[in-house]
Amino acid sequence: MSESMEHNDLITRRAALGRVAFLLGGAISAPTLAGALDAATRRAWTAAPQDWAPRTLTGRQLELVAVMAEHIIPQTDTPGARAAGVHRFVDTLLSDHYPRPERDRFLAGLADVDARTRSRHGKAFVDCTAEQQVALLTELDEAAYPVASDAPRPPEAWFFHRMKELTLVGYYTSQIGATQELHPSPFGAYRGDIPYASVGRAWS
Amino acid sequence: MITYDAIVVGSGITGGWAAKELTEKGLRTLMIERGREVVHRKDYITEHKPSWELPLHDARLSVGTKGAEEYPIQARTGQFRESNRHFFIKDQKNPYIEDQPFTWIQGDQVGGKSLIWGRQVYRWSDLDFEANLRDGHGADWPIRYADIAPWYSYVERFIGVSGEKLGLPQLPDGEFQPPMEMNAGEKLVKAGVERAFPGRHVTIGRVAILTQPLNGRLPCHFCGPCERGCSTGSYFSTQASTLPAARATGKLTVLPNSVVHSVIYDAGKNRVTGVRVVDAETKQTREYQARIVFLCASTLGTTRLLLNSTSPRFPTGLANSSGALGHYLMDHHFLAGASGSIEGLLDHYYEGNRPNGIYIPRFCNLGDDASRRDYVRGFGYQGGASRQGWGRGGGERGFGVELKRKLHDPGTWSMGMTGFGECLPRADNYVELADKTDDFGIPLLKIHCTWGDNELAMRKDMAASAAEMLEAAGCKNVRTHDAYRGGGQLGAEPGFAIHEMGTARMGRDPKTSVLNGYNQSHDVPNLFVTDGACMASTACVNPSITYMALTARACDYAVAELKRGNL
Repeated sequence: MSESMEHNDLITRRAALGRVAFLLGGAISAPTLAGALDAATRRAWTAAPQDWAPRTLTGRQLELVAVMAEHIIPQTDTPGARAAGVHRFVDTLLSDHYPRPERDRFLAGLADVDARTRSRHGKAFVDCTAEQQVALLTELDEAAYPVASDAPRPPEAWFFHRMKELTLVGYYTSQIGATQELHPSPFGAYRGDIPYASVGRAWS
Repeated sequence: MITYDAIVVGSGITGGWAAKELTEKGLRTLMIERGREVVHRKDYITEHKPSWELPLHDARLSVGTKGAEEYPIQARTGQFRESNRHFFIKDQKNPYIEDQPFTWIQGDQVGGKSLIWGRQVYRWSDLDFEANLRDGHGADWPIRYADIAPWYSYVERFIGVSGEKLGLPQLPDGEFQPPMEMNAGEKLVKAGVERAFPGRHVTIGRVAILTQPLNGRLPCHFCGPCERGCSTGSYFSTQASTLPAARATGKLTVLPNSVVHSVIYDAGKNRVTGVRVVDAETKQTREYQARIVFLCASTLGTTRLLLNSTSPRFPTGLANSSGALGHYLMDHHFLAGASGSIEGLLDHYYEGNRPNGIYIPRFCNLGDDASRRDYVRGFGYQGGASRQGWGRGGGERGFGVELKRKLHDPGTWSMGMTGFGECLPRADNYVELADKTDDFGIPLLKIHCTWGDNELAMRKDMAASAAEMLEAAGCKNVRTHDAYRGGGQLGAEPGFAIHEMGTARMGRDPKTSVLNGYNQSHDVPNLFVTDGACMASTACVNPSITYMALTARACDYAVAELKRGNL
């Protein structure tokens, strides 16, 4: 894909999101609506390299990860987790880094997410409305990060905690996250004490 | 068979120094390295690679994860990751036996661990050289600060050390390039600590990293991960510093992929005559001869080699008439300290990835009543302040646009410090050869090492004093930490500091030590050991510069002795 096509695609994406957000009165941030868009749009967003295919996740699992990741780090004025390829990063880690028990635990966590929406809404997570998706993720987030630090954590806490970490790592160490959303600290000199205003964002 | 003037076993920090010094003094020198060739610049395959060009985005490869399968020991250290895995030894092909947990971190390439070392360099003082004599633990060092001070200067001028002079007797100043800068958080803690505790100092780390050009090497450009290799030669490594100098003499031969099996000893002459080498690929055995042999194969590598070099004269290991060979294994104990948050300073930030932190020199047991503690010896702290990055999002509730907006800015400041404590020399911390051999026919090393009561008592102070200083400096949420778990569990067991020392100690008495004051074997005059194996105690500061100074000094002595016809 040429650079200009990517750029055009991005503009279209933003425009589409803006419209949906407007229709919903902006109560939910535009990027969290990724799941509400049609499958063709989602495929276009994935923008995977031509020869890439998941090695651990099924197509549906990959999409589930992509949708959840985009809810966690959505597109704003900079691209979100899906554009940064977080779902591909997750598949790579599961395939090439995770020991089998940990991989299986993560896959079980994905299955649990779908089981929850099926029992509640009769649909897989990715087929739910954005509001339904956000509602479940909010529950999982609250369980994973209890207000009282000594509160007992339910089994699903591990999964969402891990999912969030993977999303953050995958996003902020991606080219998009590290150079568009944040900036890498430049090579050259070390300056130990500079006004934050002169930088304006965290170093990636 | 080719005969050289000198053989140097090992090409790391001390092997590189021995090769440079011996060749510059005119000796035709063979440097033998068990690992593969690593060519400066060309073989720094991950240098400056952004995270997204590494398949796992530079994941830390911990024990049991895919990517660490061949490195079940190396993966224990936090330094081991996707971007530098290729500079660590493959444990499965190079096993050893742990009687109690001992994490043996090794390089396996030309340059050894000089490519991946921590680069912190601090001189010892007489507080350290006199310690064994003063409190009776270990054998008295055969040298004092005055013996080594000029050699520290000699080494510092060549490797390039940036740092701040403090004028402290317990941490002598050196030949420093301009220091790196502290950040706002560190300056705040420095001011608070020095106000609350007169006599204590918070200084920027003294590092073998250039802040000014030196011998064609460029000042640091603050890219961050030194251990991937440095094409500008800004930190000291064999490749950047000593190897080019040795090569420039035209007298150096480097022999990679060659595992030294044993040192050859001629009882008739009472001299070593060379080494037996196993080709790492073909497993064929070759021999090389030389007039003098320097062992710089790393602390335990060197001792394993000596233990495996037996003869009727030395049935328990070469140059081991004392029986001390293999004993008095030490490491610094660390991973005990404290951290806390700093309020405010939110309009302050920094730029550049400074590969260095702060240092707090030893302030206990300095010889006066006020600093006396209920344990002997002491510790220093290494640490630093920074603003939280995007990673903090994984530890807090919230997701979506708000999270992304929050992580766009850095978080609050935090400051942490961990002590590096001195370890006492004990005879019952030792290594021996096992019955089993490796692929090269060399018996495996079996390691017995634990912390003693003194180390464990010191650790309590390392954590408590760190918390006390952070609180005095106004930090909030101050928490102590101590990774030691005991009971044979991994956490802060010996080896983790990668400062393993001893097992062929220097000493005045040939009956209780292996080496004399010039790192020369008491038993065999043309045999020298100048790596960490020679150490008779550990002090509390990082050891590498002391190894370098001892090596340069030993080379000077050896060549003079050779010329006098004494070797």
